[in-house]
Amino acid sequence: MSRQHRPAFRRGALATLAAAALIALSACGGSDGSSAKSDGPVQEGGTLKLAFNQDLFGNLDPNQNFWIESRSIDRNLVDSLTDQDPKTGKIVPWLATKWTVSPDAKTYTFTLRDGVTFSDGTPLDAKAVKTAYDGIVKLGPLASLGATYLSGYKETKVLAPNKIEVDFTTANAAFLQATSTTTLGILSPKSYDIDPKKRALGDFVGSGPFTLTSYKVAQSVKLAKRKDYAWGSEINKNRKAAHIDALDVTFVPEESVLVGSLTSKQIDVAWPRNPLSEQSQQTITSGGGTVDSTVLPGLTYNLIPNVKGILGDAKVREALQKSIDRTEWAHTLFGDDYPVTKSVIDSSTPQWSDQSALLAYDPDGAAKLLDEAGWKKGSGAYRTKDGKPLEISFLTVAPWPGWDLLQDQLKKVGIKLTQKVVTPAENTAKANNGDFDLTASYFTRADADVLRTFYDTNVVKPGTGPGAYTQDPATAKALSALYAQEISEADPVKRKAIFAEIQKQIITAGVLFPLQDRAQIVATTDQVHDLDYTAETFLRLNDVWLSK
Amino acid sequence: MTLADAELVRPITPAPPTADRDETSSRTRQTAHALLRRPGFLIAVAYVVLVILSAIAPRLFASGDPTQTEPKDKFLAPSLHHLFGTDELGRDLFTRMVHGSALSVEATAISVGLAVVAGLTIGVVSGYAGGWADSLLMRFVDVLLAIPALLLALAIVTALGFGTVNVAIAVGVGLTPGFARVTRAEVLRVKTLPYVEAARSSGAGPLRVLRRHILPNSWGPVAVLAVLDFGTAILAVSSLSFLGFGAPPPEAEWGSLVAAGRTYLVTSPWLTLLPGLAVGAAVYALNHIGKTFEELQRWH
Repeated sequence: MSRQHRPAFRRGALATLAAAALIALSACGGSDGSSAKSDGPVQEGGTLKLAFNQDLFGNLDPNQNFWIESRSIDRNLVDSLTDQDPKTGKIVPWLATKWTVSPDAKTYTFTLRDGVTFSDGTPLDAKAVKTAYDGIVKLGPLASLGATYLSGYKETKVLAPNKIEVDFTTANAAFLQATSTTTLGILSPKSYDIDPKKRALGDFVGSGPFTLTSYKVAQSVKLAKRKDYAWGSEINKNRKAAHIDALDVTFVPEESVLVGSLTSKQIDVAWPRNPLSEQSQQTITSGGGTVDSTVLPGLTYNLIPNVKGILGDAKVREALQKSIDRTEWAHTLFGDDYPVTKSVIDSSTPQWSDQSALLAYDPDGAAKLLDEAGWKKGSGAYRTKDGKPLEISFLTVAPWPGWDLLQDQLKKVGIKLTQKVVTPAENTAKANNGDFDLTASYFTRADADVLRTFYDTNVVKPGTGPGAYTQDPATAKALSALYAQEISEADPVKRKAIFAEIQKQIITAGVLFPLQDRAQIVATTDQVHDLDYTAETFLRLNDVWLSK
Repeated sequence: MTLADAELVRPITPAPPTADRDETSSRTRQTAHALLRRPGFLIAVAYVVLVILSAIAPRLFASGDPTQTEPKDKFLAPSLHHLFGTDELGRDLFTRMVHGSALSVEATAISVGLAVVAGLTIGVVSGYAGGWADSLLMRFVDVLLAIPALLLALAIVTALGFGTVNVAIAVGVGLTPGFARVTRAEVLRVKTLPYVEAARSSGAGPLRVLRRHILPNSWGPVAVLAVLDFGTAILAVSSLSFLGFGAPPPEAEWGSLVAAGRTYLVTSPWLTLLPGLAVGAAVYALNHIGKTFEELQRWH
C-alpha cells in the first residue's frame, strides 16, 4: 500500500488545478517521502522550532497517551521493537533485528539488537522489554490504547539476554504492527517504578535519538539530541545521531496565528491538527514556505450514528450514506487537490480497500429510501412522518464550516441536521453514554485493527465509547465474527481480504459514515529540509536539517 | 358690564393648564429643533432604525437563504451581486449579516431590558428604603462590580449552557450594577427635594411618592445610560458569540460571523472587516444618540 497523497501543495500556480496536481505528483513521485527536497549538502546543528495545535491532556508518557501531537514528540524520545515503512506499510527491524510469528498469531519471538542503551546508560535487553510490556499491562485503564494493542496478553518470556517471546491467550494478529508504535515504546526498567502521574509529566527515560530537556504542560516541550544514538531503523537515511541539536515545541491552536508565526519565521514548522484552509496554504507558499500533505492512516473522519434513536431505521441510515456529497465536501473545505474518501479507513492504512462505489453521492436514491421509510416530503424543507420532522441531532465540540456544509447537503434531501455544540468534557460524557443521534470521530493507527478497537461491540461497551451504539444486534454479530477472524489471521494478504469485507459491511449497514480522508498538513519555511514522518504520520527527526 | 363680568369670570377659568401645555409643547419643539440641527444624530438614528428593521423583517433587505451553501462561489469579493462578498462555503455574507441581526438585536434587547428592570428595582429599593436594605443591596452590587463584566458573563453562560438567550442573560447580569448605582444616586438626590417633602407631609403614602414624584424625576440619567449600554451590550453579546457561546451554527450572529472569517483575514479580509464594521457602526450610532440626549438634558 503506497501513500496516496504525498505531493506537496505547490500553490501560486493555481491556473489549472488538475495540471498543478499532476505536476506535484510527478515532482514527488518516487521521492523518499520527505517534505522538502534535499538542497545541497546536509548542514549540522541548529534548533528546530515547531508549533503543534494543542496539548489537551498534558500527558507525555508514550505508554499512556493517545494524543496525536504527544505521540509525535514521543516518537523521538522512545524506540520500538519494530518500525513501519511509510511507503509500503511493511514492518521492518528496529530494536528487534528478527522475529517470528506463530501461525495462530498467539506467539511472537523477537531477537534484539545488541549495544542499544537507554539515555541513562542502562542497556536495552530482553529483561527491559519484558519489564516494559508487563508495565504497560499493569497501567490498566491508564494505558487504554496499549491495552487494546496487547489484548489477550499472557506474558513475556526472556529466552536469552537478547531474545524474548510474547505469548497471548487469544490471537492478536495486529500485535506486530503494534510493536512499531510509540504506545508500545520501550522505556527504561526504572521508569516503570515511577508513579504514572509523574511519568505523564516527562519523568521517564527512553532510548530514542532525543532526550527530554523540559516539559511545560500545554506550553512548551524542549528536546535535545542524543549524540551517541546509533540504531535508527532502515526507514531513515540517517541512522545515527540527528542533524539538528534540539527541538523546541510550542502550542498554537489558532490557524491565523500559526500561519503568521510561520511566515514571520518565528517557527520553522507549523503542524496543525486540522488541514489548513486553502487560503492559509496560499499565504504560506506565496511567502516561500512549503506545504506538505500526507494522508494519516487509521480511521477516516467518520460520522458515528446511534441506532437507539431516529437512525435505528436501516433505510434512514442508508439514505444518509447516499446524501453526503464527499467530493464537494473535500474540495470545498480543503481545496480541489484534497483526496476524496473512499472507505471508513484512510487510504494510507495498509488494509485499505476502495469502497467508493458504495459511497457515491445519490440524492435521488436517498429520497426514494426515505419515501419508503415513511418520511414524506410536505410543503416544508424537511421530511416528516406522523407530523414529526426528520431531525438528527449532531453532537460536536466546536462550530466548523464543515458541519454547516453537511447540514446544507442533508437539507437537500429533506433531513434536518441540528448541531449541538457542547464543551469537550460534556461531549465525551454524552458520546460515551449514547446521548446523541450522530457524532464524529477519527483515530490514527497504521493498521485497520483500529476498527475493532473502536467499533467491535465485544471491545467497546456502552459507557466506554460511541462505538457501542452504532450497530443493531444482527450487524454487531456479523461484524464481531469478522473481527475475530482478522485478529487471528497471521497472513497479511488474507487479513486484508477480511478487512475489505469488514469495510464493505460497515458502509452498507450504516455503521459509519465517512466524510473525509484525514490529511496531515505540515508547513515549513524554506530553511527546513528532509522533514519526515513515520508510517503513522508522526514527526521523525532523524533526517531533518536546517540550512543557515 | 359685560366687560366687567368677563373680567370677573376670567380668574375662575382654568387658564394655567393651557399655559402649561403651551410650555411643554414649545419645549418639545425646541428639543426637536435642537436634534434636527444635528445631522450626525439623524444619520445615527436612521442606521439604528435600519438595524432594528432588519432584525424584525430581514426578508425586506435580503431575500436569500442565509444557510444556503454554494461551494462554486466561495470567497467572492464584495460586488453588486454579493454586497458583502461570500464566505468559505459560498454563502452570501450580507444575507447572513441581515438575518443574524435578528438574533443579535434580540440578545441585546433582552440583556438591556433585564439590566434596566433589575437595576431600577435594586436602585429604587436601595435608595428609597435606605438602612440595612441599602447596605445589603449595595454590597451585593459591589461584589458584582468587582468581577469584570465579561468574565462574569463567561462564567454565567458556561453554567447556563450555550445559546442566544443565555448569552443575553449573562450580559444583562453584568450590566445590572451600573443601573442600580445610577438609579440609587438619583433617588437619593430626588427624595430630599422640597416637593417630595411636601407630598409626604400632605399625606401621600410611600408607594405614591415613589411612583408620582421620585421615579418620573430620576429616570433621565438612567435612560441615557440605557441607550449607551445598548452599545456596550452589542459588543458584549458579539464578544461572547465570537468566542462560540452564542446560537448553535449555522445560525449566524454578528460576533460569530466575525469569528468565522478570522482564519481568512489575510486573503479574504472582507469576511471579518465588513461584519466588524457593521457592528462597530451600530455601537457608534447608539453612543452618539446617547451622548446627544445627555447634552440636551444638561441644557434643559
